[in-house]
Amino acid sequence: MISKIAARVPNGGLIAFFVVMTLFFCFFARNFATATNVENILVGYSFIAIVALGQMFPIMARGIDLSIGSILALAGMVVFDAILIFELPGWIAIILAIAAATLAGTLNGLFIVILSLQPFVATLATLAGYRGLVYAISGRQLYPELATTPLRDPSLAWFNEYYDVGAWFGLDAFITTPWIPASFLVLLVVMVFLYVLLAKTPYGTALKATGGNKEAARLAGLRVRMIEVSAYAMSGFLAGIAAVLLVARLTTSTEALGIGMELTAIAAAVIGGTRLLGGQGNVLGPVLGAFFLGVVLIGLTLMGISQFVQQMLTGAILLAAVGYDAIRRGAGQ
Amino acid sequence: MSGEILLETREVSKRFGNFVALKSASIAVTAGKVIGFVGSNGAGKSTLIKVITGAHAPSSGSVHVRGKEVHKADPALMRALGVACIYQHSSLVATLSVIENVFLGREMRGRLGLVSHKAQRVQLQEIMDDFGIHVDPDVLVSTLTPVKQKEVEILKALVANADVILMDEPTAWLSLSEVSNLHTTIRKLTAANKGVVYISHVLDEVFQICDDITILRDGTMAWTGPEADIDRPKLVNLMVGEALGEASRAAVTSERRPRGTGTVKLATDKLSKQGVFHDVTFEVNAGEILCFAGLIGSRRSEVVKCLFGDDKPTSGTIISKGGVKTFGSPAEAIANGICLVPEDRHTEGLCLSHTTFENTVIPSLVEVTNRGVLMRKDMDAMCTRQITSLNILPPDPAKVVGQMSGGNQQKVLLGKWIEKDPEVLILDEPTVGVDVGAKAEIYAIIRKLRDEGAAVIVVSSDLEEVMTIADRILVFSNGEITTEFDAGEVTNDLLIHAIGGGESA
Amino acid sequence: MIMLKLQRNLADLALPIAMALLCIIFTIAEPAFLSFGNLSGILRQVALTGIMAIFMTYVIMTGGIDLSVGPVMALAGLAAYAVYYGTGLPVGFAILFGLSVGMVVGTINGFAIAAFGLPPIIVTLGMLSIVRGFALLMGGPDLHQVRDEPFYTFLGNGRILELPVSVWIFFGLAALMFSVEKRTSFGLMISSIGDNMRAVFLSGRSVTKTVCMVYVLSGMGAAVAGMLLSSQVHTASATYGEFGVELDVIAAVVLGGTSLMGGKGSVIRTVFGVLLLGVINNGLNILNVPVDQQLMVKGVIIVAALAVSEWAQRVKSGR
Repeated sequence: MISKIAARVPNGGLIAFFVVMTLFFCFFARNFATATNVENILVGYSFIAIVALGQMFPIMARGIDLSIGSILALAGMVVFDAILIFELPGWIAIILAIAAATLAGTLNGLFIVILSLQPFVATLATLAGYRGLVYAISGRQLYPELATTPLRDPSLAWFNEYYDVGAWFGLDAFITTPWIPASFLVLLVVMVFLYVLLAKTPYGTALKATGGNKEAARLAGLRVRMIEVSAYAMSGFLAGIAAVLLVARLTTSTEALGIGMELTAIAAAVIGGTRLLGGQGNVLGPVLGAFFLGVVLIGLTLMGISQFVQQMLTGAILLAAVGYDAIRRGAGQ
Repeated sequence: MSGEILLETREVSKRFGNFVALKSASIAVTAGKVIGFVGSNGAGKSTLIKVITGAHAPSSGSVHVRGKEVHKADPALMRALGVACIYQHSSLVATLSVIENVFLGREMRGRLGLVSHKAQRVQLQEIMDDFGIHVDPDVLVSTLTPVKQKEVEILKALVANADVILMDEPTAWLSLSEVSNLHTTIRKLTAANKGVVYISHVLDEVFQICDDITILRDGTMAWTGPEADIDRPKLVNLMVGEALGEASRAAVTSERRPRGTGTVKLATDKLSKQGVFHDVTFEVNAGEILCFAGLIGSRRSEVVKCLFGDDKPTSGTIISKGGVKTFGSPAEAIANGICLVPEDRHTEGLCLSHTTFENTVIPSLVEVTNRGVLMRKDMDAMCTRQITSLNILPPDPAKVVGQMSGGNQQKVLLGKWIEKDPEVLILDEPTVGVDVGAKAEIYAIIRKLRDEGAAVIVVSSDLEEVMTIADRILVFSNGEITTEFDAGEVTNDLLIHAIGGGESA
Repeated sequence: MIMLKLQRNLADLALPIAMALLCIIFTIAEPAFLSFGNLSGILRQVALTGIMAIFMTYVIMTGGIDLSVGPVMALAGLAAYAVYYGTGLPVGFAILFGLSVGMVVGTINGFAIAAFGLPPIIVTLGMLSIVRGFALLMGGPDLHQVRDEPFYTFLGNGRILELPVSVWIFFGLAALMFSVEKRTSFGLMISSIGDNMRAVFLSGRSVTKTVCMVYVLSGMGAAVAGMLLSSQVHTASATYGEFGVELDVIAAVVLGGTSLMGGKGSVIRTVFGVLLLGVINNGLNILNVPVDQQLMVKGVIIVAALAVSEWAQRVKSGR
């Protein structure tokens, strides 16, 4: 029974490793097992987890999206402009930003499907293109006097709230519970939504089938081109949500927002067990991957390990993850 | 209702331009029966399948489902009418679970339009119970054995309410015991009044499982009727037709040299690979053409792979150049003078977006380089030599091989090995997809190599080919050598018996 | 008939034609574009990217990719600095050491990819992180002055026959690697492996060795570029070769018409790709196009160029 459950949890190895690392830091890193630190990890990595979840979609369809960093910046700048220049209410700004990000993602998908470009190249080009667009619409450049004005819209500010969830359940009587940041709650909502989408609707199977065996998917009567486009649209959509969280936390947006984010997202997704060959993926993987990186990096920081060593470790973890996967697959055959 | 005609084609013909791929074919698929389609490559089997599945519209004639004519058939419509096809190459998604594959594209919806896994599970279980198929619905398809994958495809067809199930070479990747499992499943299908179309090269299976047989040759129906009314020799004769007779007559005129010069170039002793082939013992001499005859799936290619170092035998030995050798890689086999022209020239033989010139020199790179620098003159000479001696068309070294005809691609592939001056040349199905003219040329090349002293092994499922070029014949059946013939003493019937049934052996 | 022939060759000629057109447009808009100073400026700007792109072409021709070139640049510069100032050995040794550092990184990449069959994009992404971390650990985030070695300074800033040395190195390496591609068995192996690795293996060739070598060369190319950079700016720093360098390099290669699927490509085409990107950047600067629009134009040009070549390929192969 237990082995059957273990077989159905796809990230068993990672979860075990995650727990081990967490325990390790609890004992050896000062201030690791504190409420504040948990809050830091949650707030710092929730949005990365969302971007990684987004990246999972193109990877599942056997593609990749290098442009999400730029899409993130694009959505951030839309929020900035909408609130400060057009003085729109925050919730409209948020909707606009997410719509813009989704549109940018859809455009990626259309380039790939209609012009039959390789995903790597198409999104490499839009990485540059969208970043250019960010500069072009940047309210900071158009109205330099606004550059230092913080974004203080109430709807936006909500995303930077913390909730004393522990107190709701009376847990704080026993220990100091971390306050849960709104961004983490958003992540939970996103996870539930994606879980339903992937596991409970035909779309999920259709996406995996398209990435796993396009010809078989076509023979089963699926509209594979639409599905491919949708994967990139999802990636953009989630980058848009992540952008809102990030902008809310920074109370501003910059043109350089999210540079290099695509690589972190790919790393988180791969560490979470998403295979580049497509056809596989689950909601837990990228989130675990992102927080695993978070725990290790923040844990090492607290132990006083050089930031540079941490960077090396990030790479080593990534290599270990693919190596482990390759060995497991080799043993399975 | 048993005996009801589920699907029939009436006088169906299919033309591609001037080429007639199928000529007035009338077949009927009956509930509760298995009908077998047999015929050699290019006989029109796949055209007929495509007409039935709606992938091709017939040029004339009509397709009827349960007595009603189907107008404007397309794959989706035929599927909806209950016709399912299980292709030779799996159309399952390896990364999805069994149940996900089975319901792919036809998920059952529950509340809120969400997929109802529960309902799917119940239905799948019902079907599995009804047909006695047992597969764990939650495992990934990639972890299943080939026969289980076929069962998943059958389940997929059953969930789609198919009444007519076509199986195109369903046993191509299966072992013998798996084949009998599959046949048991098929029996259950017919017991439930499904109609099954069974397409196979393996005559044993056809005789085992089919109630009716339709023989196709050159796009026409050579014979159709109940299985009981035909025997193996007659069937093979009808399949390959008069051509075989002519080939064997022509073969008499060409000189046969069993055992060639008598110098053994390559030999094996009880070579075995567990679960694949066993106790393969033979020797091939300089100056002879040794044919590995047998049906598709008799594991000849697997033996040949081991001889070439592309796979490792589990026991037994390979003796080459007087010593026992184990080849860890093709490079080592090549160093011992053994070359292989693989069966699939597209995936294993040629770099298709490269030119004749480049493909020709790849195995001989060491010979045409001086400290890594290519010597153009030698390469040009090499390439020109092969183009002229093999009559490669177009005679342009810079032609990209992907744009050449099958026959010329095969010649390029031959040429690249001839340049290595092989002592043992192994050719796996050398003339598949090659037109008649080029075939004759390739035979001439093979004979010339033999006359120059090479030991040649030809793996062929084409009886005509075997009768034409062999000096000596080893008949393989299910991973074993069953019979040996000298080409001079063998007759058509003898060979057909040996290959088709093995009972005369 | 002529049209047909033209169409067939479009895939090969598209790049030079596009470049000629752009040059004409820029010259009409701003005659100074065609001045020697400006043209040699373009070359100087693209030389480093170009050097890396030459070797990246090989990597991509085998169907792989190398994302780790940026930090290798930084590490090589630091390594040369460390040997020169740390040991007092002649500058030649410093340069050799810098090169070998790049080759070591390349060897690790190549080994993981060729021998273990790991996906190149992830392996080199991991190495990107590792090498950057290592460089920072060794050199810290500070700039290290490299001023007083005349030969080293000459490499980045000197001129031979009016052209910067780095440009000569770029052209020299391009010519060398072009002839390696065309004239050696190694070159033939690279494109054949990208076309059909299995067929090459069955032809008795050592695929692993060649694939590994390609990454070693890519690491070495990045090391050359890294040392030239540190020479140009008179400093070595662990932060050089910042994020985005590898994408520029890949863009240049792909723009040249080397397919990411492997099998097709050429160093000479990459040189054109590099020059095209240089001309676009320079022309847009001359025309005073703001940075933001430059980025967008670049994106559009890459997409358009690839879509056209994809289309031309289809026409060519008659599909």
